[in-house]
Amino acid sequence: MRRTTGLSIAGAATPWAVNLAAISQAAAQSATDYKALVCVFLYGGNDFANTVIPYDSAGYAEYGAIRSTIATPRASLVGLSSLNAPGGRQYALAPQLTTSPSTSALALKSLADLFNGGQLGVLLNVGTLVRPTTKAQYNARSVLLPPKLFSHNDQQSFWQSSRPEGGTLGWGGGIADLVASGNGKSTFTCMSVGGNAVFGAGNSTVQYQVSTNGAVAVNNIPRSNLLNPKLYNSAAAATALKALITGYGGANLLEQEYTRVVARSVEAEETLRVALGAPLATTFGSVDATGKAIANPLADQLRMVARTIKARSGLGAKRQVFFVSLGGFDLHDYLPQKHPLLLQQVNDAMTQFYAATVELGVQNQVTTFTASDFGRTAISNGDGSDHGWGSHHFVMGGAVKGRTLHGTPPVLANNGPDDVGQGRLLPSTSVDQLAATLATWFGVSATDLPLVVPSIGNYSQKNLGLFV
Amino acid sequence: MLEAPIDLPGAARFLAQTTFGASRAEISRTQQMGVNAWLDEQFAMPLGTSHFQWLKSKGHDNASLIFSSSAFDYTVWRAFLSSPDQLRQRVVFALSQILVVSINGVNSAWTPFSVGNYLDVLGANAFGNFRTLLEQITLTPAMGDFLNMRGNRKADSSGRVPDENFARELMQLFTIGLTELNPDGTPRLVSGQPQDTYDLEDVTGLARLLTGWEYAVGFDGAPEQYATPMFCYPVRHETGASSFLTVSVPAGNDGPGALKLVLDALFAHPNTGPFIGRQLIQRLVTSNPSPAYVGRVAAVFANNSAGVRGDMKSLIRAVLTDVEARTVPNSVESGRLLEPVLRFTAWARAFGVTSPSGDWKLGNLSDPSTRLGQSPGRSSSVFNFYRPGYVPPNTSLAAGSLVAPELQITTETSVAGYLNFMQSVVGNLAGTTGTDLVVDYTALLAMANDTNALAGEVELILAANRLSASSRTLIRNALGQMPITTTANLLDRVKVAVMLTLASPESMVLR
Repeated sequence: MRRTTGLSIAGAATPWAVNLAAISQAAAQSATDYKALVCVFLYGGNDFANTVIPYDSAGYAEYGAIRSTIATPRASLVGLSSLNAPGGRQYALAPQLTTSPSTSALALKSLADLFNGGQLGVLLNVGTLVRPTTKAQYNARSVLLPPKLFSHNDQQSFWQSSRPEGGTLGWGGGIADLVASGNGKSTFTCMSVGGNAVFGAGNSTVQYQVSTNGAVAVNNIPRSNLLNPKLYNSAAAATALKALITGYGGANLLEQEYTRVVARSVEAEETLRVALGAPLATTFGSVDATGKAIANPLADQLRMVARTIKARSGLGAKRQVFFVSLGGFDLHDYLPQKHPLLLQQVNDAMTQFYAATVELGVQNQVTTFTASDFGRTAISNGDGSDHGWGSHHFVMGGAVKGRTLHGTPPVLANNGPDDVGQGRLLPSTSVDQLAATLATWFGVSATDLPLVVPSIGNYSQKNLGLFV
Repeated sequence: MLEAPIDLPGAARFLAQTTFGASRAEISRTQQMGVNAWLDEQFAMPLGTSHFQWLKSKGHDNASLIFSSSAFDYTVWRAFLSSPDQLRQRVVFALSQILVVSINGVNSAWTPFSVGNYLDVLGANAFGNFRTLLEQITLTPAMGDFLNMRGNRKADSSGRVPDENFARELMQLFTIGLTELNPDGTPRLVSGQPQDTYDLEDVTGLARLLTGWEYAVGFDGAPEQYATPMFCYPVRHETGASSFLTVSVPAGNDGPGALKLVLDALFAHPNTGPFIGRQLIQRLVTSNPSPAYVGRVAAVFANNSAGVRGDMKSLIRAVLTDVEARTVPNSVESGRLLEPVLRFTAWARAFGVTSPSGDWKLGNLSDPSTRLGQSPGRSSSVFNFYRPGYVPPNTSLAAGSLVAPELQITTETSVAGYLNFMQSVVGNLAGTTGTDLVVDYTALLAMANDTNALAGEVELILAANRLSASSRTLIRNALGQMPITTTANLLDRVKVAVMLTLASPESMVLR
């Protein structure tokens, strides 16, 4: 089955690509400082209702009623000291985002601390939309909705690219396209430590994937730090191996693409290895209540992002877009048992990453935001929740207008004004608006915004005011 | 039935579509037999030792191992690498990537037995009927745990509602997909727009029908429990009227009856043949089959010419004997990138891999930095290692609207990790893996002093003679500079010939 790929345009001969290059040139000339955008993608659909929890008594009563057996007890919550109380609402973050064995052990802040300190903002009820949508419009299907709502792979793709599965142009990549030529080596403009994701794919930008320990070198091929290698005792074989894996000259498209990935891998490893210096002083990782180390893949990934940012001048990077991820959020069951650990991992990794940006002196220049396939149902299925839509997310960084509840607090009620069934939230803020706000902070001009967020013209509010 | 004779490269190519890898002897034998006789022989092969039986026989039911998943990897690699019913095993691997259960997402005791049993169910039905297969996988404890059908209960006064996970994925991934299809697998458009097959109400309605299921009665937590089909507790099943798609189930229904109605409906849906058939083609033959090829295969799913729908043997034979499968393509858009598991097993089986102890302790090879970046039964979610519709961004493939699922896990990290892992195992399989697995290079050693003979033999076995002239020259020039004096020299030459061949892009893309 052949699919068309919509806005994806390959090849430099198209007028649009020429336009991008010209814009890119202009942007490059004005960029003298460093900026980075970091997407923390929570795969599976994070349960927003137990992440950012209503704390004022009316709000909590509403939450407790709809969540019943899976509600977090109010006694375990500490209200955020927010500068604003939209609609009279107060919120608390989940206990694992308020204190964590890791943060107390490592004397670092929690996400709640960062919120109260002004470095983290909460964005309420954000989700995939094509245009602002009311409940009546949703019920009547009278406006265009994102396709394949509630489907994991399609909503992951739509969050990242405004396209269902099969999309090839992410808004992270779109942003990178506009600024990449200011970078010495475009390879390092868009980097993923969190797996293959369309977020970082641009028209010309290619997402470069790296492991949590840096680039993996291919053994026994000639490299700057391996001048006379031997493959099974043969120098000739070692040289032949490098030629075979990087020099494919045939016409088969799959063979060509495979080789392009290998060639990029080999070339980038040379640069990255040299540029990555000593590790940061900031420690990354999580411990359990007894102080024993536990796995935290998100912390491992953000540590690598921090190391890369530290190496930015060796990479010639002025503008970078990063992608990291954590899986396991699709908690149809075992939600009370499993969600806390996931939230602890998010808390520890993000607060440690913020501390790393402070260590590097770039905290005002790095903005981190969370994202997920969708929120979940506020109503439980007994021990978990099902696929939802609108969700609450975090935006973190020195430039962020922190200590603020952005967006519109939703009513959590079956058949409530924001409910589209079983406590699934109709988003009141769109991912498009979040993307546009982040892109604007990153330096994308108003005229270029539609190149990054094609639907932005559908919204009158193009900037959510998330930054100071 | 008259069949065009195949040559040795043709036999090697056929075996790359139908097995986990073949030795020179097997390639020669297949060339003599021909495709249809080989298929007949494979279809007639009895089921071997089940995963469940093997795990028990090796003592992996020792009480200390109750929460360990490692033995699953042992039994899976054992079956894929050594079981003689190779076609059945390949089909099991293909089905495991469509009807996905990942042991990484099964949270119970005795997961090797649970997920091993799941593979046994796939194997028992691989040459049977798709309708039976659907029912049997639905009732496995493994699937029950993986997609939460186990413990799914009807709505009650506490406010809980049925769990929708299995209902959604049963439709989206296991039967009809998201988009209405023509019989040739292309999307059925109305005013130029694709049509959704189901909406949220269908998921909710289907979830109601799938309530009540739990581990079988008499649960005692032993491994056998995880190989026993689930049981429906009447008191937990939603007996009220429910509907989904065009199916209306009246009040007073029971769990098993409702399940049968559900599966009958999804099995009969016109999407299922093209949806499943196209993915089977992608797993075995090529990533971008023509709509006509898909249509021919889907037609056999609908009716195997004896009036039977869902006949797996006929479906598999149709996929493999179709003219598009049997013809070497000449388009630059053709082929499929062999997934890392198959590249590794192709090398291992080409050279007679054995585990003298019979333990096969090969382990989880998922790590892309240091291993294959893929391991059977260990995808990160129900969406498999890669999507059937994956389009790699910024590529000529994307410009041509072609899909390349296996490129989804091909990253700057994984390509290096793969090459390093293969260098190590080609040099020393046992040492690299910490196991007793060994391969046998004897036949190649006998010709290792002759560069052209060595290179040619390796290319036939590992790449069905697909290497380009320039790759051949590179390999032979390198060999030409290596001494042939000692046994150690000859072994190095064998390893170089093998490693350089399998590192070539042409060997990785099957076409």
